[in-house]
Amino acid sequence: MTKLLLVDDDAELSSMLEQILTKEGYQLTLAPDGEIGLQRALSGSFDLILLDVMLPGIDGFQLLQRLRQQLRSTPVLMLTARGDDDDRVQGLELGADDYLPKPFNPRELVARVKALLRRTPNTSVRPEPLEYAGFHVNPLQNEVRCDEQLLELTPTEFDILRALVQGKGQVVSKDQLSVAALGRQLAPFDRSLDVHISNIRKKIEHNPERIQTVRGRGYRLLQLA
Amino acid sequence: MQIRWYHSLTLRLLLLFWALLFAVASSGFLLAIWYAQPETAKPLPQEVQETLSPLLSDQVTFSSLTPGRLLAGNYRVAAAVTPEEGPNRLQLEPNLANTHRRELLRQLDADQPQQLRLPNGMLVGPFVLNTQRILLIRPLSEDERVDQQVNSERAEQAQTMVLLFGSLLIAVLLGIWLVLPLKRLISATREIAAGAEKLHLKRLPRRTDELGELARALETAAHDLKVSRDAQRRLLSDVSHELRSPLARMQVALMLSQDDENPDANPHLTQMSRDVDRLGTIIERILSLSRLENGLVKLDPQPVNTHELAKILAADLAYVDAKYGERVLVLDADWPTTATDDELLRLVIENLVRNALQYTAGIIELDCVRHDDKHFTILVRDHGDGVPEAQLAQLFEPFFRGDPSRHHKAGVGLGMALSLRAANVLGGSVTARNHPEGGLEVSVNLPIVPMDTIIDDEPTDTEAAEQEPQESN
Repeated sequence: MTKLLLVDDDAELSSMLEQILTKEGYQLTLAPDGEIGLQRALSGSFDLILLDVMLPGIDGFQLLQRLRQQLRSTPVLMLTARGDDDDRVQGLELGADDYLPKPFNPRELVARVKALLRRTPNTSVRPEPLEYAGFHVNPLQNEVRCDEQLLELTPTEFDILRALVQGKGQVVSKDQLSVAALGRQLAPFDRSLDVHISNIRKKIEHNPERIQTVRGRGYRLLQLA
Repeated sequence: MQIRWYHSLTLRLLLLFWALLFAVASSGFLLAIWYAQPETAKPLPQEVQETLSPLLSDQVTFSSLTPGRLLAGNYRVAAAVTPEEGPNRLQLEPNLANTHRRELLRQLDADQPQQLRLPNGMLVGPFVLNTQRILLIRPLSEDERVDQQVNSERAEQAQTMVLLFGSLLIAVLLGIWLVLPLKRLISATREIAAGAEKLHLKRLPRRTDELGELARALETAAHDLKVSRDAQRRLLSDVSHELRSPLARMQVALMLSQDDENPDANPHLTQMSRDVDRLGTIIERILSLSRLENGLVKLDPQPVNTHELAKILAADLAYVDAKYGERVLVLDADWPTTATDDELLRLVIENLVRNALQYTAGIIELDCVRHDDKHFTILVRDHGDGVPEAQLAQLFEPFFRGDPSRHHKAGVGLGMALSLRAANVLGGSVTARNHPEGGLEVSVNLPIVPMDTIIDDEPTDTEAAEQEPQESN
C-alpha cells in the first residue's frame, strides 16, 4: 500500500483529506506540526510527503530544508496557502518537487499525488545506463554522476536530468520535461521547471552552463569541448 | 541628534560667505592700491632744467619764495625750506600738503632735481636758491592727463576683473560644496522610493551639520519604510492564509458531499463549488493588487522580446481554451526588445486580453507601435461594442464592470485594475479608447529600457538576483 504523510496544522482539513485519499487507496499518516512532521518523515518510509508551509514551530520551509539534508529520494508536494509567488519558488528551491496553492480542488491534489508517484521508476523494466555530456545516469540506483562525481538530486531533479541525457543534446521542450519529471503538463506561466533546472545547475561543480537554456523552446545538454 | 549651534549650516554658510567676500574685496582693494600708486620720480630732463635756471636766478632778489606763488610760465612754488630754525622753516602748498605730503618731503630731500607726476600736477625740483630749497609744480599737459586717466582706468578694470573671477570661483566652490551632498541626497531619496534599505550616502551621515542630519533622517526613513513594508507583507500573507484555509476546507468538504459517480447531480453544490473557486480568485487578485500598489513586488528585469512574449501568451491562452487560440491574433509589427520584468509584463497584457475574451465575441488583435528609441505602445483591440465614453476612465477601477447584468458571467472585476498597477510598476501607463472603427482599444505605454541596465544576464536564476544585494552589504 502506498504510504503518504500529510504535515498540516489544519486538523479539519487534514481529516477530510484523509477521507479522500483513503478512498483513492492511499494510507495517510497525519502530523499536526513541524517537529512531529520531521520526526515521522525521517522515521517512517513514506512514498510521498504533503507539506503545508505555515506550521507552528518549525515552518514548512525549515522542515523541508532539514528533511532534504537526510532524505533526498522522497517526493515532496508543497501545499502553499500564501499567494506569494516567491513562496512557491522558495519551496522548489529548497527541494520540493511540486506545489499546489490553497485553496485547491481536491481532484487536482489527487491528480498531482498520482503524477508524482507514477514517475517513480518501474523496476520490472531494466533500463540501461545512459551517458552524455559528462553525465552518467544509473536508473537502477537512481544515481547521476557528473564528471565521476555523485550528484545529490531530488527525484524531480533526477528525472529532469535523465530526460535531458536521453535527449542527447537535442532540445527537450519544457512540456516534455514537465511530463517526465512532474507527471503533468506545464501550466501557463509556470516557472517551476526553471527553478528545478537552476537547482541542478547549482549542484554541478564544473561548467553548469552545459545545461543550456534555449529561449522559448526548452533546454538541452552541451557536449563539452 | 541635536545640532550644536556652532555646527549649524547657517553659521557655516554665513562664515564662509563672509570670509570669501572679504577675501575678494580685500584682494580687489590691494590691486587698486597697487595700480593707484604714484609714479616713481624721474630725473629732470636737461632742457627743462635749462629753461628754468635763468628764471630761478632772476628770483634771487626775492627774500623768500612762499608756496602758491606764481613763478614764470605756469610754474608755481609747491614747497620751500630754509636752513634757519624757526616756525617758517618748512612751508608747503596747503592743498598739496593735504594729499601728497610724503611725496613732497621726499622730493625736497633728493640730491638731483627730479620730476614726479601727481594727479594734480607735475612736481619739479628741488632747486637751490641762496638759502632756500624749493619745489615747483605745473599743471599737467593734455598728454599727461590722458596718460593719467588711462592708468586709473586700468586700476578700475583690474578691480572689476578680480571681483568677477574671484566671485565666480567662489560661486563654483560653494556650488560644489552645497550641491554634491544635495545630489547624493536626491539619489538616496530615489533609492528609498525604489525600496532600498541601504542608502549610498558615503560619509554624508557623519557630517555634523543640517545636511548630515538630513542624511541620517533619510536613513531612518528608509529603515522605517523597510520595517513597515515587511509588516505589510506579513499582514498580507497572514490575511491570505486566514482566508484561504477555510476556503480550502470548504472545497474539500464540497467534494466529499458530492456524489463520486455524478459530481454535478446537486446543482446547489456545483454552484457553491464555483463560488468557492471564484472567492479564491478574488482573494488572489486583491492580494496581487495590494502587493503591486504597496511596492512589494520584486522586479527581475531581463531582456524581453515583446513579440515573442505576445506569441507565447497567445499560445498559452490557446492551451487554456482552443477557442481562445482562434480569437487572439498577434500582428506583425515593430515589436521592440526591452529590459523589463517579463512576468509582470505578461500579467499586464494577459489581463487585458482575458478581459477582451470575456466581454466580447470577436477577434482580439495584439499590435505594437514603436514611437522612438525610448517608448512603445502595445495595443489590445477587440471588436465588441466598446465602452460608453463616460465609463472609459472607470474601467481601471477595482470591481468596476461596464454592464452590471453580466456580473455572474464575467470575471471578478480586477483584471484591468491589475493591468494598470502592473504597468505603473514597470514605469508605464494604460489608457483605453473606443476605436473609430468599433471595439475597445487599450494602449499599454511602456519605456524601452536598454539592455546594459541589467547586471544579471542569467534569466532562469532567480536566486542570483536576490543574493547580490545581500553580499554587497
